[in-house]
Amino acid sequence: MICHPSPNIFKTLPLRRKEFKSRLHIEKNNHSGVFTTASRNSCTKKNYAARGIRTSVEAVLLVELFKHPHLLLLQVRNSIYKLPGGRLRPGESDVDGLKRKLARKLSVNEDGDGSEWEVGECLGMWWRPDFETLVYPFLPPNVKQPKECTKVFLVKLPASRKFIVPKNMRLLAVPLCQVHENHKTYGQIISGVPQLLSKFSFNMIES
Amino acid sequence: MVSSQVVNTYPLSSYTFGTKEPKMEKDTSVADRLARMKVNYMKEGMRTSVEGILLVQEHNHPHILLLQIGNTFCKLPGGRLKPGENEIEGLKRKLTSKLGANSPALVPDWQVLLLFRFTDTGESLLIFAFCVYPHNVLLHIILGKLQIGECVAIWWRPNFETIMYPYCPPHITKPKECKKLFLVHLSEREYFAVPKNLKLLAVPLFELYDNVQRYGPVISTIPQQLSRFQFKMITN
Repeated sequence: MICHPSPNIFKTLPLRRKEFKSRLHIEKNNHSGVFTTASRNSCTKKNYAARGIRTSVEAVLLVELFKHPHLLLLQVRNSIYKLPGGRLRPGESDVDGLKRKLARKLSVNEDGDGSEWEVGECLGMWWRPDFETLVYPFLPPNVKQPKECTKVFLVKLPASRKFIVPKNMRLLAVPLCQVHENHKTYGQIISGVPQLLSKFSFNMIES
Repeated sequence: MVSSQVVNTYPLSSYTFGTKEPKMEKDTSVADRLARMKVNYMKEGMRTSVEGILLVQEHNHPHILLLQIGNTFCKLPGGRLKPGENEIEGLKRKLTSKLGANSPALVPDWQVLLLFRFTDTGESLLIFAFCVYPHNVLLHIILGKLQIGECVAIWWRPNFETIMYPYCPPHITKPKECKKLFLVHLSEREYFAVPKNLKLLAVPLFELYDNVQRYGPVISTIPQQLSRFQFKMITN
């Protein structure tokens, strides 16, 4: 299937290697809980007033099923899909923050620093000019004070991984062809992931 | 190949544009093009094409150079690789063929460039810009000096149809075309010679984003694929 050798070869591993287990519902504070859009926006406004632009980091984790790459998504409340990730603490680096979030959302040891996760390159960045929910892959002209910047990273999965998922969320493996251009269901960022991944050649590893 | 997260973009006024003899498209219709693709596929197998993303900056916003054929159809400079040809060398060959000035005695003349400007009220305003040069300027263009950067996107054509995807769809074992888009790093001064039957446009990223109707799925997703780069907007 891959006809030309490419420097960007990415290994995806078969799905059945991953074991998904539930874990106890973790105590939610304002910053890692589940929001409605309205409450999220008001929280964002307060945070912007206090700390300036919010930087979020999100992870693209891929597995192979039926010879097609699948994206791991967290589903909240049966309707909202998210990439694993979240907001950086002030002064925190992108990579450290993403590892911390992955540990919290997907690892056995939720207080760990996430050092077992291997964060790869940045695939894309999305800018939010204002507190409403539209994002753009560039800083629009005339926008001097963007409110949020979201960076999406490719994260490599080790050969065998056990995922522990909070009970109020589901971890799904969604084929790229289903996510592609499906703004309505998955939102701008997730539905744009296949296009950000297109330059990689996937080396599907048989188990 | 240059791999860098920082992309230097220079103002449009940094560049000189002239015209050269027309370079006609090989096919007069989409149906002809697909038919020719079929013939080539039988002879040579999957078609690999390479296209270049050339960036300039205007008003601190990156713009992509597109070639316009006729009144509406826009494409990136590039084309099909010869069998066995290296991607980078092939792209340089195509860029020189489409945009290089090959005659040293070329006389630059009027060239209309369409620019969009984002006004304070948020509207997209179409303005025109003209470039005029003195006669008898001797141009020696070596577009081989262009630095081809990294590949930012790959699109697959599963069948002899116009639809392309940013992944090889499941169950497709024999795609008909693979198209690769490369970032092209321009230096501060370049001379472009645009075939008389084409227009060269500098289109801002905000105009391309999500604009599938006007620019098609490949070009309209370039802004996302460039979003991870840091653009250094250099002014004169």
